[in-house]
Amino acid sequence: MTTVPTPLNRGDGPQDPSSTWFQHAVFYEVLIRGFYDSNDDGTGDLRGLREKLDYLEWLGIDCLWLLPFYPSPFRDGGYDISDFFNVHPDYGTLGELVGLLEDAHRRGIRVIADLVMNHTSDQHPWFIESRSSRDNPKADWFVWNDDDQRWPEARVVFTDVERSNWTWDDTRQQYYWHRFYSHQPDLNYENPEVADTMVDLVRFWLDLGFDGFRLDAVPYLFQADGTAGEHLPETHAFIRRIRKQLEADYPGRILLAEANGWPSDVADYFGNGDECHLCFHFPLMPRLFMAVRREQRYPITEILSQTPELPPGCQWATFLRNHDELTLEQVSDEDRDYLFAEYAKDPRMKRHMGIGRRLAPLLDGNRRLAELLYSLLLSLPGSPVIYYGDELLMGDNIYLGDRDSVRTPMQWSPDRNGGFSRADFAQLYLPPLMDPVYGFAAVNVEAQQRNPGSFLHWMRQLLIQRRSLPILGDGAMEILDCPNPSVLGFVRTGVVDDVTSTSTAWRGWHGDEPETGLGWGQWGWAATAGAAEAAARPPSRTQAALCVHNLSRFAQPAELLLSRWSGYMPVEVLGRVPFPVIGEDPYTVTLGPYGYMWFELFEPSDDEEAAGM
Amino acid sequence: MLELDAAWRSSLTSLMATWVQKHGGARGDTEPRIEILEVEELVEGRPGILDVLANVDGELAHAVLGLRTPGEEVRFVRSGDDAVLGLHEDALGLGMVVDALLDTELAPLVLAVVTGDGGDPGAVSLIADDDSGLTLLFSERYSLTVFPWLFDRPHPGVELLVALDEAGFNHLAAPVALWRRGGRDLGMVQEPMAGAAAGWALALTSLRDLYAGDGPPEDAGGDFASEARALGVMTGRMHVSLERAFGRRAENVAARLDIVATRLRTEDPSLLETPGLATVVEALRTAGTRLTTIRTHGDFGLERVARTDQGWMVADTMPGGYRPGGIGPEFRSPLEDVADMFWSFHRVALAAALEREPSDFGSLIDQAKAWEARNRRAFLVGYLATAGIGGLVPADREMVRNLVGVLELERAAERGSRPGD
Repeated sequence: MTTVPTPLNRGDGPQDPSSTWFQHAVFYEVLIRGFYDSNDDGTGDLRGLREKLDYLEWLGIDCLWLLPFYPSPFRDGGYDISDFFNVHPDYGTLGELVGLLEDAHRRGIRVIADLVMNHTSDQHPWFIESRSSRDNPKADWFVWNDDDQRWPEARVVFTDVERSNWTWDDTRQQYYWHRFYSHQPDLNYENPEVADTMVDLVRFWLDLGFDGFRLDAVPYLFQADGTAGEHLPETHAFIRRIRKQLEADYPGRILLAEANGWPSDVADYFGNGDECHLCFHFPLMPRLFMAVRREQRYPITEILSQTPELPPGCQWATFLRNHDELTLEQVSDEDRDYLFAEYAKDPRMKRHMGIGRRLAPLLDGNRRLAELLYSLLLSLPGSPVIYYGDELLMGDNIYLGDRDSVRTPMQWSPDRNGGFSRADFAQLYLPPLMDPVYGFAAVNVEAQQRNPGSFLHWMRQLLIQRRSLPILGDGAMEILDCPNPSVLGFVRTGVVDDVTSTSTAWRGWHGDEPETGLGWGQWGWAATAGAAEAAARPPSRTQAALCVHNLSRFAQPAELLLSRWSGYMPVEVLGRVPFPVIGEDPYTVTLGPYGYMWFELFEPSDDEEAAGM
Repeated sequence: MLELDAAWRSSLTSLMATWVQKHGGARGDTEPRIEILEVEELVEGRPGILDVLANVDGELAHAVLGLRTPGEEVRFVRSGDDAVLGLHEDALGLGMVVDALLDTELAPLVLAVVTGDGGDPGAVSLIADDDSGLTLLFSERYSLTVFPWLFDRPHPGVELLVALDEAGFNHLAAPVALWRRGGRDLGMVQEPMAGAAAGWALALTSLRDLYAGDGPPEDAGGDFASEARALGVMTGRMHVSLERAFGRRAENVAARLDIVATRLRTEDPSLLETPGLATVVEALRTAGTRLTTIRTHGDFGLERVARTDQGWMVADTMPGGYRPGGIGPEFRSPLEDVADMFWSFHRVALAAALEREPSDFGSLIDQAKAWEARNRRAFLVGYLATAGIGGLVPADREMVRNLVGVLELERAAERGSRPGD
């Protein structure tokens, strides 16, 4: 059976016009260089990405996160920027970027940009000028010192590559400060000119139409004697300054902080709701992988119990994999050894303090396990971020250097170069995967779109179901007691718009296929006979979702203490199948290996509605 | 205390006979001899609650009876359970008598009596019901345990729990209120232990994973070693707290070895032939060490601990089985608890093997032994690294290992199986 991709018909403009759209959004991280090559030069580009917006709209993501697209010598995947105010010529022009933003917005997709504020490339004209002498106009735009002994408390991030945060410069006869690679000198934020310029930079890109930024390496902007040079008050003050600009002139735009730390520390980047809108929840990710290998919920529930409450209007960003290594900075030495032993059996899989592999190979290609992890990601608190290609279960190439192992071209079809580019193979920025398991002949968008049983279709359906349960975005979470340690069950609750929350129940029971012309995003059912009923309902109501996961490779019984939901009827979300009403006794659910189920809980008075009557 | 007339006493005796049948009291063929000792009216009227103490064949039975108007709709915490005990007539007329703790309307009233908190405690659910106690959970706010059989003195388990709590040991469900009368513990209220899974269940998870593959336990995803080490730390902290609460005594290691030898000779003489045992025992005797003894848990093992988000907890401080008169609050070497725990490692490894290969569990023995050895080591690493434990166990690590090994043999003799078999 062939399924023709049909857009979700979400109409013009952002799907969720509220200023807290990011709390319900699913983000999609895309490497422009690796997504689609529109001009056959071997490198993905902005026009190529624009050409693939149909696909992204069909998939059902809400917001694109563009990895750095700025001019760069590419010694760190574009995070070594040599011009902050332009687009790398390999990717296209500023005009093409604006075209991409406009087209994405028309489809209801927002776009945020990676913004590297901490450092530049050593090829940036600012640094070239700064290093040329000690008295040039840019002399204080970077952090210089006569010796390399200052700030010894600051750790070296890339310990396997760099020995110090200081590097000697022969021209200037001084050391310059860098928290990452030595070819990435840190900007000097103590210099007001630098700070002002970076604020101008933010305004420049927002004026072009971006919906926000992912702030790279944000904890390191400032240094201070006697400190580790991370999370300093001056850094927070600078973020607040940017946020103030957003609130005043760009409402609805967001800041997403990349601060790899413990949740209680990272939460500082929310401020009092006056700094970043989102922060990545780094420690959760390795614990998801740990939990499924240990077959117990405690790695997950422990970190959640140590995650502080969010200030109003904020959200965690969660992920399984991204463009970097699977970082193991936020686990104990013992747990790191365990995860290396479980997931990086070949030493070539290790990168820095992590593992340079994509999701599918990490899981030995186990689709059930991948589904379980995505079910967790999409139902636990936070806005999920999907890394390009992981919706196909793409593989990696651990023989490529640094983090290029997970940055190979997107696999669009079984054609030459995986449909990514019509350039000569030798021209490609990286070789596409061609192995028999994960190569483009076996894993590609075209084949999976044609196959309704594919992982891609499963992922799309899950995104649709998530949208039907807005409380998975911002609802409260209550972890359920369950005597089986392999089972993680929780209830998400919150108040939602009534139309949004009930339409899926209606759709499921009336056999309305999402692909049909009704257009579920428009809630087309409201135009049917159900409209009068809908109009009579209150504008909002409490929604509750029960999510149960089996972290074991064996089938498991789950006895859930749900007596507080006594009388409610669980309706399984994917199939809209009503389950027995919850009573005072522990509620028993049987889960297959790595099984999961999402239920919407309907109050007794909602029974008819849940049943579609 | 209610004054009982003859009719009332007779009626209650009859009701208690029914109650005793439901609580494992009737042993043998003869009818139990029941004498009503005390009746306390916890709630007057209908519905009403009576707290009854009775002598049943020399044991102290404790029943919480609910008085309901006949025909009234009653919801019980356990579906299908016959919690109705009979009928009773008093000044208010005929009443239907139920087990008040199983009645969803009356159980909160019992809780209110114990805590003094009359607020709505939320939905009630039954967590456990055996002859050592019935435990109810109230909307994850309170956990109420009521003892059906009483000690004629403070309950040693409650005593242990309270002492640990007062000593600052926080690996337990903290006591909120004690239900005491006449020097006896009738029950207690604790904070519920959220997200708990029994240690036994967690170990089974690890073993299932191990047995499904053919590698060593250290290569299995469900490796238990980090949990065993953390469990060792928790156990060490428990012992340090118990020493702080109850003080310490001493015993001669030779005397303890004599007891073990006698027990092996009596229960299973073949265990005396265990390879290396004679050498180890001789070395222990020669060392002549005096063992520090403390008030121990007394019935330790994976069944008595639980894993939560806050780490390992002591889930059960009620040693001694279902009836008072079993294990008492004796002073023993803390290594006795360690041996109990190790013995439970053996039992769970065996149970999981039987579960996977009922007819050929012997094929899993090598993996089981490796699992036990690895987790014993890990447990001891955590246990012996606990601050303050040094003063409670011999300084010589080899001696600790040997002594625990000998004590574990004693458990094997008592319980009819051998470690490593």
